[in-house]
Amino acid sequence: MIIAAAPLILAAAACFAFAFRKRLNVVGPFSLMTILAAFTLVAAMPADLTGALLDLELRVTDLGRLASLVILATLFLLVIDVWLDEPAYNFFPTALAVGATALGVLVVTAPLAIFGLLVLGLLVPVGSFTFQIQRNRSVEAASRHFSFVALGGCLGLGALALSASLPHEQPANTFVLLVVVLVVAFALLLAAIPFHTHAALLASEVPAAALALYFGVLVPTTFIAFAEILTLSGLLPAIVQVVKVQDLLHGIGLVSAVGGAFLASGAPDLRRLVVYSVISNLGSALVGMATLSGPGIIGALASVIVTGVSASGQLLAAGTLERRSAPDRPTARRAPMAALAFVVGGFAMIGAPPLLGFPGRFFMELIAYQFAPVTGAALVVATLLLIVGQLRAVVALFGAGVERWAIEPRPVAGMIGAAIFVALLVGGIQPAGFLGPIAAFADEFLKALRPL
Amino acid sequence: MIALGIVALATLAANGSRQLRYSAFALLGVSLAANAVSAGQLSMWELAVEGCGALVAFGVLYVAARDRSYGEDPGWRLWVATVVAAAATAACFATLRTASSEVVTVPLIGEDPSGVTAQVAAFWLISSGVAILVTARTPVRGSLGALLMVTGVELLVRLLNAPQLGLTLLLAWIQAVIGLAGAFLIVNERVVREA
Repeated sequence: MIIAAAPLILAAAACFAFAFRKRLNVVGPFSLMTILAAFTLVAAMPADLTGALLDLELRVTDLGRLASLVILATLFLLVIDVWLDEPAYNFFPTALAVGATALGVLVVTAPLAIFGLLVLGLLVPVGSFTFQIQRNRSVEAASRHFSFVALGGCLGLGALALSASLPHEQPANTFVLLVVVLVVAFALLLAAIPFHTHAALLASEVPAAALALYFGVLVPTTFIAFAEILTLSGLLPAIVQVVKVQDLLHGIGLVSAVGGAFLASGAPDLRRLVVYSVISNLGSALVGMATLSGPGIIGALASVIVTGVSASGQLLAAGTLERRSAPDRPTARRAPMAALAFVVGGFAMIGAPPLLGFPGRFFMELIAYQFAPVTGAALVVATLLLIVGQLRAVVALFGAGVERWAIEPRPVAGMIGAAIFVALLVGGIQPAGFLGPIAAFADEFLKALRPL
Repeated sequence: MIALGIVALATLAANGSRQLRYSAFALLGVSLAANAVSAGQLSMWELAVEGCGALVAFGVLYVAARDRSYGEDPGWRLWVATVVAAAATAACFATLRTASSEVVTVPLIGEDPSGVTAQVAAFWLISSGVAILVTARTPVRGSLGALLMVTGVELLVRLLNAPQLGLTLLLAWIQAVIGLAGAFLIVNERVVREA
């Protein structure tokens, strides 16, 4: 039971926060305290602790603990921003519920339960996506997100249930078909290109904090869940035997990496730049995973976790810049700290050294070159396009110059960006503590790939 | 076999209805008939949990409709969804069935231990749900398609030879949350449309 304490506390707190959601001065500090309590519980839990809840087996893995801590820290920063700078009362219960499901995904060991919790977590933000509904298209964006999650979620759950009940003497093609459905389901949930239309609409219509919750917390959780499900479901040996599935993963990854980077390089606003950069990085991570190699898995997971954190910082900064500069285009003159936070978040997003995003990107591109030179070259092109996109944003923000470098009133997004930058810098200088747990998972993945 | 027929007819009724409240009633019928199809695979508690999920989804959709006339006219989408669902069900059963290839006798009334009926119902519900969801214009039919798919997934999960309580609870939660999120979107979409 102790193993499930953190998600259960968050789930109970989400119910309480929902009841008091309109009292910002109660629900804000309460949400922060709850997240802090969950963080302490997860940090104090020893690795490889096992347990059971109902009839579901639970296990604390090194990767699960690392990802849980990163997710809780990100949620803490998002809640601070919404409480102090961007009041939105639906956000608090949503953030707590998302935290509960994300932590649940990281301790449950049954693939169907992992997927089910993930679907729950992806459905919850629908409530925080809609705002000022008569002035924008946020209802349409939320509806599209709902449809994509329901479609991908049910197809994935169905494929997993069928693969678990199929007798082992089935022809390989049946397994391949089910894995293809599973991969497409995850592509729908991850907003991989060409299944990214809901992400594009979300980027332009929903509040920045809700967008950060989705792209900063839920999307990385979805990717980790994908890796865990492949490891635990027993489908990996079938994937190795039939190259078609590996090619499909590879193809979706490459299209997302290069397509997302193209869209990011020409993005018309800051939010879309961040969202397309996330899609591009997820595509690169899918390519890393498709190599079915240790460095590929490590690079993919490391890159996705760092992408989530840096996307949260950038999206919060973009939201602040938009609010302070409205009705004009965002500029550093109105909020220099937030503009700086956006720029340093961009460094992490492109995997620039010495930040923590560098090792993951380096591993992915290295192994992609070894896998096929064209793939490696495509990932490098994607990185260059992302650099172009981020540079365009810097020019747009700072192009007119900053008259006076004074800290803006309530520099919440700027301070959050600074905290994220320091964490990524420290992690980049000492990457072993971050990469160790991911390497332990990669080891499990490779063992599941070729069971004795 | 009779329960399977009720699942098919109730799905068609939910798909063809122009009023959300009638669709919600039909969805409840689908859920009850689906429970009857595979009642033997679950304990009383597990059936009760799934029933609660279906009731919550029905209740929130019924309330979200606010009046008897609100809904979405399916038009040509009804026929597309039906034809696609029928073709996809046959294709899925031919390629993905887990029941053995020996001749299976399916009783007209009562439990089907081979699981063939449950699997056909599951494939029918999932493919109908996909067809409805993909062609939906508003959250009304989006919610309908999503709930049909979840009911189909519940049937597939019941066929697993594994402990069911945790998964049953989780799927019931998914059903309830889909109902709640769908109702939330329906209410908001109506506000936008009537503004």
